[in-house]
Amino acid sequence: MAKIKKRGESGAAKNYITRNQALKKLQISLSDFRRLCILKGIYPREPLNKKRANKGSSAPASFYYHKDVQYLLHEPLLVKFREHKAFAKKLARALGRGEWALAKNLEDAKPIARLDHLVKERYPTFTLALQDLQDPLNLVHLFSTLPTNPIPGKTLVPSEVIQECSRLISEWKVWAIKTHSLRKVFLGIKGVYYECTVPGHGGEPIRVRWLEGYEFQQHVPHDVDFRILLTFVELYRTLISFVLYRLYTEENLVYPRLWTRSWTSGKGVSKKEVKRAIKGIAAGVSVSAQDEDDDVEMDGETAEVAEEDFVERPSKNEAELSRRHRRTEQGRFDLPPVRALHLLPLRETSSRTWEFVIRAMGGRVVTAAQAPTLEGPVADGITHVIIDRPMTAERMREMQKGRKWVWIQPQWVADCVNRGKVLDAEEYAPGKLLPPHLSPWDGEGELERPWLDEINESGAALTDAAGEGEDEEEGIEQDEQEDSEEEEEDEEAAEENTPEYPPALLAAGVSHAAFRSQLKEATKANAPQAKTSKSAAGKTAAAAAASGDDADLRKIMMSNKKAKLYEKMKYSNRERAEEKEKLEAKRKAIEKRKAKEARQAGKA
Amino acid sequence: MAPRPAAGPSRTARQAALVSAPPPARNGTATAGTAGPSRLGSKPKKRAASPSPADEDEGEDELLLLGDGEGLEMSGDEDEDDQVDGEESDGEEAFPELDSGSELDEQDDEDEDEDEDEDEADSNSESGSEDLNDEESGSESGYNSSDIERMYASSSTSLPPSPGGSHKNLLSTDEKLSRMIAKHSVKPDERIGTDVDLSTAKKGVGKLRPSKLVKGGIGGSMRISRRVMNPNTVGNIPMEWYDDLPHIGYDVNGRKLFRPAQGDELDKFLANVEDPGAWTSVEDKALQQQVQLTDKELDIIRRLERAENPDADYDPYQPTIEWFTGKGQERTMPLSAAPEPKRRFVPSKWEHKKIIKIVKAIREGRILPNKPTATKPSVYAIWSESDQPHAEHAMYMPAPQLPPPKTVESYNPPEEYVPTEEERREWEEQDKEDRKTDFLPHKYDALRLVPGYKNMVQERFERCLDLYLAPRTRRVKLNIDPESLIPKLPSPKELRPFPVASTVQYRHPGDTRVRCVSVSSSGEWVASGSEDGIVRLWDLGNGREEEALLVALVAGKVVVLSPLWLVPPAVATATLEHVNAGYAHSAATTKIGAGKDVRGTEAIKWTRPSEGERERGVLVTVEVPGTPKQVSWHRKGDYFATVAVEAANKSVLIHQLSKHATQSPFRKTQGTVQRVAFHPLKPWFFAATQRYVRLYDLAEQKLLRTLQTGVKWISSMDVHPLGDNLIIGSYDKKMCWFDLDLGNKPFRTLRSGCSHLDSTLLSLTFPFAFTLRPT
Repeated sequence: MAKIKKRGESGAAKNYITRNQALKKLQISLSDFRRLCILKGIYPREPLNKKRANKGSSAPASFYYHKDVQYLLHEPLLVKFREHKAFAKKLARALGRGEWALAKNLEDAKPIARLDHLVKERYPTFTLALQDLQDPLNLVHLFSTLPTNPIPGKTLVPSEVIQECSRLISEWKVWAIKTHSLRKVFLGIKGVYYECTVPGHGGEPIRVRWLEGYEFQQHVPHDVDFRILLTFVELYRTLISFVLYRLYTEENLVYPRLWTRSWTSGKGVSKKEVKRAIKGIAAGVSVSAQDEDDDVEMDGETAEVAEEDFVERPSKNEAELSRRHRRTEQGRFDLPPVRALHLLPLRETSSRTWEFVIRAMGGRVVTAAQAPTLEGPVADGITHVIIDRPMTAERMREMQKGRKWVWIQPQWVADCVNRGKVLDAEEYAPGKLLPPHLSPWDGEGELERPWLDEINESGAALTDAAGEGEDEEEGIEQDEQEDSEEEEEDEEAAEENTPEYPPALLAAGVSHAAFRSQLKEATKANAPQAKTSKSAAGKTAAAAAASGDDADLRKIMMSNKKAKLYEKMKYSNRERAEEKEKLEAKRKAIEKRKAKEARQAGKA
Repeated sequence: MAPRPAAGPSRTARQAALVSAPPPARNGTATAGTAGPSRLGSKPKKRAASPSPADEDEGEDELLLLGDGEGLEMSGDEDEDDQVDGEESDGEEAFPELDSGSELDEQDDEDEDEDEDEDEADSNSESGSEDLNDEESGSESGYNSSDIERMYASSSTSLPPSPGGSHKNLLSTDEKLSRMIAKHSVKPDERIGTDVDLSTAKKGVGKLRPSKLVKGGIGGSMRISRRVMNPNTVGNIPMEWYDDLPHIGYDVNGRKLFRPAQGDELDKFLANVEDPGAWTSVEDKALQQQVQLTDKELDIIRRLERAENPDADYDPYQPTIEWFTGKGQERTMPLSAAPEPKRRFVPSKWEHKKIIKIVKAIREGRILPNKPTATKPSVYAIWSESDQPHAEHAMYMPAPQLPPPKTVESYNPPEEYVPTEEERREWEEQDKEDRKTDFLPHKYDALRLVPGYKNMVQERFERCLDLYLAPRTRRVKLNIDPESLIPKLPSPKELRPFPVASTVQYRHPGDTRVRCVSVSSSGEWVASGSEDGIVRLWDLGNGREEEALLVALVAGKVVVLSPLWLVPPAVATATLEHVNAGYAHSAATTKIGAGKDVRGTEAIKWTRPSEGERERGVLVTVEVPGTPKQVSWHRKGDYFATVAVEAANKSVLIHQLSKHATQSPFRKTQGTVQRVAFHPLKPWFFAATQRYVRLYDLAEQKLLRTLQTGVKWISSMDVHPLGDNLIIGSYDKKMCWFDLDLGNKPFRTLRSGCSHLDSTLLSLTFPFAFTLRPT
């Protein structure tokens, strides 16, 4: 006879455990449990049937996977928590009694919880760690810009944490610059998004995206619990430092970097370092972002200066080196051609962003600090100037002093990175209305807008004078691209068959009369096609009507579940289509309006 | 003090003990059973006071019992003996059952029993009085024993007069028992309370005695003062016992105290409002009136509220009395005379040795003080090439990544993304959760104009909360074409032949509306009934039938018709014979015994139509309760069933034409029957209620199956001529097809576009079902 199954001994009732039960089982406080959950990456589950999971009760509860909690029972961290609790008690006692020596001894033997094992446990391979790196980078970036007391009177953020966060960021960026792995930049409303390609486990490229807010003071709402954020940051710091160790070691660099000691010692800067920094400037070695900003923060600056001094590890053997080279060869993804451009970001542009982007793309940056007088060999090497302020032609000429500089707005850099080539700088000249800045991730699940590409491509011509070295290859590439674009355009023209102006032509600046004549020809050519298509349309309409009846019949045969699913899918598709149509209609209206204005302006 | 009433429960306990428990346990049960420290206490006195002959009797009893071979060990202690005796005398009724040997002694025992009881009663009354005396002497001193004796005398006379009150021998045990109960059911306290009043009344003195416990005697005097003010003598009883009476108790002289005038709510309210002292008054339950609290009492209440000692004079900070400290009180002698040991004032030698060892080790460098412990490096190679990812597990659900930013989020999006004024307002009015984007798109002309993003911290925080607080579950996201969900059907062309065009039209003359159509089972006749009350029969081919019968439903009646003039003469005669056989049969049954008629069908009459009606083809008329709505023939043509509304359990009737008999198959129907149908081959019967179709076996008279349709309201039903398929139509646009071999759920459910289905039909030869829709 089969064994009689008892209620609540198998299935969902056994699989899930409510939070209160978990607390009771672990014998820890709620805040400890929260910390543990954050660090261990344990999250509540949504059982298929809550009532069954809650042993018949339908009271609201959050459920955890029973085995998760079971594993927590012998978590080394839990032991550390207990040790810390005991330590805190002892310390408080010693302090209360005024036993300072004892307190000092205790303080020296303070139990420190390390999270190494958690990193390895949560991310068993490097690839997994990289795939999950977005949230850590975002949060660490945010923390590097926070004040020590974000909410006055509440949890303080220790200044060491902030410093370590900014150190991690700069290390991460330095790695990206060194390996030229930046792929995409997007200037959003929230901040600047970057995307890097990082070689993961076995060298497979993983795309890591992160967001860096603009350089403003952060607005901190009062209901943000910084204890939670700090717990997350603790884990993320550990994770990022391990990732950086791996990345730096792959590049045969020493990590943690030596300057960090001087940084943490907090004694300011030695004269030697300053001298070295000045020497570096003189030698034309590109220097970091903050230099030009203000000279007061010398402490931070020198650290940034020191970034450049990579310490090569003594190579272990030839095999490893060759392997590394091989990997870099493999990992030589399509490096965009902004190499060897000397760019001069002026003061109002965010050097933090642009210096990183330009150098990561292989360009060189000359800052105002490096060439304050705009004289000498450093200034002579400048080809492009990034400027984000209204500028008169006179002033520009005055600054150039006979040299040929290309003046651009910062968006040009981002667009160049995203497109993978050097764009025509004319549209991005200071004071001009910029072409729209598109997200490089738009293809991933959102509407595509071929017309916008057309605008930019048609107008784009090769004007890159500075990047001569790499230009040859690029030219070929671009030619190919253009060919394909033309083909695409043709196809589109055939597809569209609309008497409206193709926006591409409008943007390309074709004259109105010429366009009229072109249009006439096009409509003539398309007339027979249109006719046939009309008759075809009639036929298809009839067929559709017939098939509609048929479809009705077939829908009757659907099961209820499928019918609901079908309706849902139809609904969401309709929503999406509507949104698309709405955008399209808006775009057309705007274009019409603009054309009208242009015509009126032409008449006048 | 209360031996008899207490003996009730103890008796049963003892019986159980006698049956089962070994001898030593008996003593235990006995002592536990008799309720009694009081009794124990009283016993010696009684014994001392009146060594009655009953004792001797009891002694005999013991002997008898021993003779019975009970084998109980009797201890020499008299007290115990006594208890045991009393119990035994009670328990003797149970004995005979246990031991047949004691039957002879029964008579004697019973006699003696009675004697004993009387004696005990006597002695108890005595002992009771003695007890009381004891109590008084212990607690209160102002009473004479005579008072109590009088009281007891009165209470005994106040009992219902028994015929043999003076002659104890004639008293039955029951009476005695009840007397005892009455005597002892009064609580001693109450008794004393009444006694106090009685005695004080007699003396005419309201004597106050300050409490000994509280200094100053406030509590005591309070209580007594209230008692003195309170002329009601009912004592501590719930006052609601007097609710229905005009009086609320009695004064010391036994006169009724009448209820003080109770104002209505308005009076109370006014009194409350007008009287400034209303809020410091409380209701005296005994006098049923408001009593003003004195200042002292109010003070006590206030103190209690403040959790202080209620006694105003109580001093919590009394000066300590220095018994052992202070000048001249010091103890001069030590507790122990032992001299102080040397170790108390000499440094430890062993500790010194240990310290020397450590110092030596430090000097030699074997111990490094404050040596930094070897720590792991903060970062190291944690991953290697040989790492393996997690094995796939259903419960492993990594958090979803944040989606990449779209062009909407750009600082300089194409213009169509910039919301219009209307959209902006709509976005602002929406709840935070309903917004499609958490930011409002905006177009800035230059990068330097972009302000800081206000919600950055909030967003990061919410993401963190999501990561550790949001329940995760696995959802399958279908990435398919919705059209692929629609099943493929054969095109109608492949299903041919089926009628595609109307070939014949049968017209009712005039513009009357045809309300029903029925096709004969052979498919050769069609009958249609119209609103003008005429049934028309349409010949679809050359019919060859043995009988031709129709059933028409008229209000309150079922009419059997036959177009005799249309059918061949042989068929006509067969039909007539079939119908008329019924008349003979029904006459026969009425002759034999009308009582045997099927119950519940008395109201149903089969009548012969008049001549004129017969001319028009009416053969039989059946009067049925309610309005018949549907008729359904059995395949063989002898039976037909009708469904009527408003006829309760007689809504479904099965009529037999050949016997002119009608049966009501259901004693009670579950829900209103909508449709019925006969199974074509078996003696089965389908009855469709609003939601279910039930299949009954008429021969065995039982329910075979209940088909669950899943529709709201069945409108029509049809059984396939082979009997294995059933189809129903419903008012909620559905058609269910049951295959009776495939269980109780519909094999297929089809939805139709129209509002409801009027009727459904199944084709015999082709796999078609026809439905009629309202147009």
